[in-house]
Amino acid sequence: MDLGVDDDELASCVACGLCLPHCPTYRVTGEEALSPRGRVAAMRQVQWQGVPPDDSFVHAIETCVQCRGCETACPSGVPFGHLIEPTRATLAEGGPFPLRRPRRLVRLGLRGLRHHRLLLAGSSALAVAQRLRLVPSRLSRRLGLPARLPVRRPVLRSSGDDVWLFTGCVMDAWMRDVHADVQRVVEATGAGVALAGPGAACCGALSAHAGLASDARALAHRTMAALPGDAPVLVDSAGCGAMLRDYGHLLGTDEADAFSARVVDVHEWLADRLDALRAAMPPAAGGTSPDRPVVAVQDPCHLRHVQRAHLAVRTVLSPFATLVELDDEGLCCGAGGAYAVDQPDLAGAIRARKVAAIERSGAPVVASANPGCALHLAAAGVTVVHPCTIVARAIGRPDAPVPGAPAGSPA
Amino acid sequence: MTAEARPVPEAVAAFAREVGPAAAGPVAVAGGRTQWDVGRAPRAGGADADLDARTADEVREVRAPAGIVALDAADMTVTVGAGTTVADLDAALAEVGQTVALPDPPGATVGGVLAVGRSGIRRLGWGPVRDTLLRVRYVSAEGDVVTAGGPTVKNVSGFDLCRLLVGSLGTLGLLAEVVLRTRPLPATERWVVGEVDPFALVGALHRPAAVLWDGTTTWTLLDGHPDDVAAQAGGRGLVDAPGGGPALPPHRWSLRPGELRDLPARAGHRPGGFVAEVGVGVVHAEVAPAPRTVEPAVARLHRRIKDLFDPTGRLNPDRDPLAA
Amino acid sequence: MRPDTAAGPAGTADLVDDLVAALAPDRVRTGAVELGLYGRDASVLSGTAAVACFPLSTAEVAAAVRIARRHGRPFTARGSGTGLAGGAVPVGDPVVIVTTKMDRILAVDPDARVAWVEPGVINLDLTRALAPHRLHFAPDPSSQQACTIGGNVANNSGGPHCLADGVTSAHVLAIEVVLPDGTVTVLGGLDPEPAGLDLRGAFVGSEGTLGIATRIAVRLTPDPPAVATLLLDFPTVEAAAETVSGVIAAGILPAALEMMDQRITEAAEAFAHAGYPTDAAAVLLVEVDGLPAGVDDAVERIGAIGRAHGARAVRVAADDAERALLWKGRKSAFGAVARVAPDYYLHDTVVPRTRLVEVLAEVYAIAERHDLGVMNVFHAGDGNLHPLLLFDARQPGTMERVHAAGEEIVRVSIAAGGVLSGEHGIGLEKRDLMPLLFGPADLDAQARLREAFDPDGVANPTKVLPAGSRCGDLQSIPEGLWV
Repeated sequence: MDLGVDDDELASCVACGLCLPHCPTYRVTGEEALSPRGRVAAMRQVQWQGVPPDDSFVHAIETCVQCRGCETACPSGVPFGHLIEPTRATLAEGGPFPLRRPRRLVRLGLRGLRHHRLLLAGSSALAVAQRLRLVPSRLSRRLGLPARLPVRRPVLRSSGDDVWLFTGCVMDAWMRDVHADVQRVVEATGAGVALAGPGAACCGALSAHAGLASDARALAHRTMAALPGDAPVLVDSAGCGAMLRDYGHLLGTDEADAFSARVVDVHEWLADRLDALRAAMPPAAGGTSPDRPVVAVQDPCHLRHVQRAHLAVRTVLSPFATLVELDDEGLCCGAGGAYAVDQPDLAGAIRARKVAAIERSGAPVVASANPGCALHLAAAGVTVVHPCTIVARAIGRPDAPVPGAPAGSPA
Repeated sequence: MTAEARPVPEAVAAFAREVGPAAAGPVAVAGGRTQWDVGRAPRAGGADADLDARTADEVREVRAPAGIVALDAADMTVTVGAGTTVADLDAALAEVGQTVALPDPPGATVGGVLAVGRSGIRRLGWGPVRDTLLRVRYVSAEGDVVTAGGPTVKNVSGFDLCRLLVGSLGTLGLLAEVVLRTRPLPATERWVVGEVDPFALVGALHRPAAVLWDGTTTWTLLDGHPDDVAAQAGGRGLVDAPGGGPALPPHRWSLRPGELRDLPARAGHRPGGFVAEVGVGVVHAEVAPAPRTVEPAVARLHRRIKDLFDPTGRLNPDRDPLAA
Repeated sequence: MRPDTAAGPAGTADLVDDLVAALAPDRVRTGAVELGLYGRDASVLSGTAAVACFPLSTAEVAAAVRIARRHGRPFTARGSGTGLAGGAVPVGDPVVIVTTKMDRILAVDPDARVAWVEPGVINLDLTRALAPHRLHFAPDPSSQQACTIGGNVANNSGGPHCLADGVTSAHVLAIEVVLPDGTVTVLGGLDPEPAGLDLRGAFVGSEGTLGIATRIAVRLTPDPPAVATLLLDFPTVEAAAETVSGVIAAGILPAALEMMDQRITEAAEAFAHAGYPTDAAAVLLVEVDGLPAGVDDAVERIGAIGRAHGARAVRVAADDAERALLWKGRKSAFGAVARVAPDYYLHDTVVPRTRLVEVLAEVYAIAERHDLGVMNVFHAGDGNLHPLLLFDARQPGTMERVHAAGEEIVRVSIAAGGVLSGEHGIGLEKRDLMPLLFGPADLDAQARLREAFDPDGVANPTKVLPAGSRCGDLQSIPEGLWV
């Protein structure tokens, strides 16, 4: 059965097994079928050897978080993302595989992301319902929602046209205060920020990962149209950034290539302007240095393994926080976009490993540059903040401590 | 060249002929008789003296070939006849600045110490006897020359018969020629002594060659670069012991290293009545150890191995590794 | 959502039912695609499994073994499946017993320097868990981030540090095993001289043919107080080889001693940018550890010996960052090769250090004769040579040339006084080459050991020893055997 996978790329794996310890699903199960090597071998059985896909095949494919950690670890350079995506798309198109109910719900939800105003209204309604205790917190968790959605959101206003700030769908509805912090930090370097509004709401990443390829392409076209010109497009969500940078591959047009070339993770952009940020820090009052929170850096997979931009987060944070490295080599946290909703047991087990690593690090606060990861970890009780929030506090209001850091903690 | 075409050294072939096929009857190997009482299988009736007299008629005594066959300093290996004394081997190795981690009671042979398998007091720093054997040519119960292992330090070609043979008391095969792994002679070696906690000392020092304790006094053998030895000895309440280490009581126990702390309190031991190898677990004691029990499955494996390797029971018939 | 366990290969329904009853429904797998995955390890060989199961305890492993026997099936144990010789490839439609879910470190005793671990613990995970005690597990094969302790025991694994520290056998004190008849027992012990024969030593390196290890007591090694890493480069391979011999003969026992030829150095440098000189005929990466004065002395002497043999430069890492960079260059070699050629085959032979130069020359000649590219990494400390043959498997006839070249390399190594394998083991890959190293009486002796443990031949059959090794061997070859 043709899975739509490029044969040369499928042939590049030599089965050495060095990807196994870097795969979150292998780490929590020890099962070859839930490892990159196993998934590649399974694809070969189906596409090359005519083995009929069975439940074990579907299970292997649908449990992949698509974190791309295996790509970083692979000595042979196997482009695993290019193998899993068409395979998932082929499975999602239907056929002999029954789609299970949670996934149908997810697909419905994803289709709803197209309508940003609907999402905003729905989120506000849910927020009220949560406060009225009409929505049990267990259900919120199961659906991947924050325990307390924001009822009110800050109003963002454009301040110029030096750079675009991509605000996205879920992050704009649920974490717009982070966008406000990011905007403040970018403006502190002297740049004016343009906002696209609801036209460029969803980058299409969740749809692409669910195998809804045509939905993803439609969203890509809309997004590109809403961000015209040559100005850089700054992204503060690692998952969205990776997707926007992949439009060239997704759409295959020169226009998409040109657009993707303008996209940059906000931390990469800020890392080149660190002096301006440092200058923006208010002088220490009365000779005492401002409190530096102790922060563990969590690397979203799309920043570390796809965009390879995770070091920029550290560069940007180090003047403003004491950084602690986790000892798990950037293993995925299990959020995986909608993965936590689709595969709750595995996502929970993967998250437990990450939480244990955070506990071992001793840091009270985790900095995460991706909303999906932040929500997933917060649901397990971890205090998570966006790196730009830490910077915004440091340069804007040093007397307002970072959530979770003890007040008056020594620098 | 395949294995069949590789020639067997004449001394080994001659030894095999002397041992003869299974029909040639029981044989025993004698080396320096320095550990002659190890693993004596008890026989019904008769004192040990009668045993020697009786078995001397039935069992032919043979001696393995002796002599250094090849010494390769750059490869850190030495090929030697099993009948060579450890002292002669050490002397030859010393000429190229090397040594080997085998115990060397006077007159002991290489084959003997390997067949018995007990390490010397430097086991803590130098490793056990069983890790020194890389390749062996032995004479089987059928009188064939069998090669096991390989002449290189790193080797995973097939089953590790070398490990099976070390400590087998010659009951599975008679060692004829061995390739041993050597080690560099340390630049200097020094015994120091003091009334200090040996367990803390083992944790604090880096690879001491030996730490010995009699319940009160601790002797430590340090080796390596002179500056390092001085640094390790200094500041811990240790002074030079020109007389070397302590005299060792005759009996031998094997305990878990963690059990050594309680030795002075255990019935039958008194401070000064034992010398314990701290970090290793061997105890040289005035009293004999209690007989050890072995799991039935392990005993079964021993019987099966013996039956397969020596169906007529002709090799060193009065020895049993389980009685060691 | 659990995969469908009801349907399996023909004739396995009762076997599957018994395994499900003994283990659990979700830890017995029969899905065709999934079973296909357990037909392979990291080698180029493959087989077929009747069923795969994931025990969580010694009792479950023993039950799986007994159930396999009851149904007339052999069994094959599997860890991470990183073996390169086909040791975990299922032959004879066995029950594959996967140990990866038995991944707990059970107890660590830092004073006694012993830890009990389950067989599915990953090698590097163990060393990392020991770091706070400033202890580590010495065997460090290059697959250590993925391979399991159980696999290390089965293969008697090595690693760059085994010249100074010894192979896995020197670091295993006791092993709880399930014997091929399903009995559970402990081989070896925590005391230094357990009673009787060293069955523990016989078990290590037996590649799954004597039983399955279910708990392993490993010896823990203290972290050295001082470490130094050097990079030397040479205008000729001979100069590098002579330096290696000179260092060893001078009584210096480095912790690691790695040699790379020019081809692989170029590839590695392009990928890792570690500052390796790409115009050197050979480079040596040396690591010494121990007490400070001894280390400083060794560094000086190694540099002097290198220069005396013509080393163009001796670079000593100034700090941990530079050490890591130098090692990155070495460890990237494997990955870099993968990007240079579409396919590669990693060989594993051992030769006496003193014969390295002539064997290397022959390896280059063999590769050229078979129209293949070759690069060489050499664990010069212990004579372990890893020729990497480079090729494009899509071209017809290539694999035959690769296998022919591989066999010639093995023959040349043995003729030079080496052995069949330094690290990868015999498995299936080199089983039929065993007669190059061992005569009939030698193989018969090994077969007797195996027969003592496994008289019925149910534990990972057809591995290590060629058919007919046991004089009077009337065992039939299982049907469907693929080699």
